[in-house]
Amino acid sequence: MSDHSALVALSAHLALVSSISFGGFPTVLPDVRNFVVVIHGWATDQEFTNFFAMVQTIPGPSMILMMSFVGLKVAGFPGAVASAFATFGPPCSIYFAAYRVWDRFRHAPWQEIVRRGLVPVTLGLVVASGTVMARAADAGWQAGAITVIAAVLALRTRMSPLWMLLAGGVLGGLGLL
Amino acid sequence: MWARRITVDQRRWLSEPDFADIVGLCQFMPGPNVVGIAVCTGAKLRGGIGAIAALCGFIVIPWSVGLALGAILLEYGQLPIVRNILGGVSAVAAGLLIAAGLRLFVPHRRRPVAVVFGSLAFILMAFTKLPLLAVLFGLVPLSIAASGIEKARVG
Repeated sequence: MSDHSALVALSAHLALVSSISFGGFPTVLPDVRNFVVVIHGWATDQEFTNFFAMVQTIPGPSMILMMSFVGLKVAGFPGAVASAFATFGPPCSIYFAAYRVWDRFRHAPWQEIVRRGLVPVTLGLVVASGTVMARAADAGWQAGAITVIAAVLALRTRMSPLWMLLAGGVLGGLGLL
Repeated sequence: MWARRITVDQRRWLSEPDFADIVGLCQFMPGPNVVGIAVCTGAKLRGGIGAIAALCGFIVIPWSVGLALGAILLEYGQLPIVRNILGGVSAVAAGLLIAAGLRLFVPHRRRPVAVVFGSLAFILMAFTKLPLLAVLFGLVPLSIAASGIEKARVG
């Protein structure tokens, strides 16, 4: 597939999944990984997890950036720009439209029911994203242990995520994972 | 949460209830939540122009900086040391994502409906190759229907 048609296919897919990324963009990571790595082979698992790790270490809107790196890999700078637009454009338009009509239904009883039905599903997807990203790295048991430890620390302590990411980077850099 | 600190406490762009309202809306919409908060705040202050301005401030500048930094990092992405560091960071980030999902699930843990549909979503997305569209549209209507029944029973 040429760069051009790959770019169109990627942007269309990102626009689709970003429109349904209820609960935040991380919920779409397994789907995007499947599309980019497994189906099209535009990037390797290694590269995909590199993008994922990179956006944790640099400032900025992490998921938009991550998709831009995928776009950069697929079609260069135009790919990065197109992917960014495809990632935030549709949800932002939806936000803007929804904000306009929100007044009318904010107190409606069904709103609470929709939320109670939707939220647990999206949270299951978030956990699935973490699991898929951990497996995609396909590193040894040490990396798996680090994932579990980070999850436990985040749930049980008030330790800043930045320290944990830093610790992970140091452990990795020392070649321990 | 710094978004609240800036919009409500420091700049007084929004009142506390307005902010809570916007967060409530953004939580069940698709897309990056923080960007949604920015767009809604902009829309509240200045309508469509405000929303676009908020978007630019929120995305364009950080995106350019991030992309440049990332592109430099990618140049060195094949060096073993860089790859190892990124591997460690990625392992932690995956753990943080899992923790974030679980933490937000805590208020729902005593609802059988929530546990069933949350677990189904997890299993289908983590262990099958089903597209997100299929999983969402398969589960969400059922989950909402079950929540409606649950609410009717509990009263």
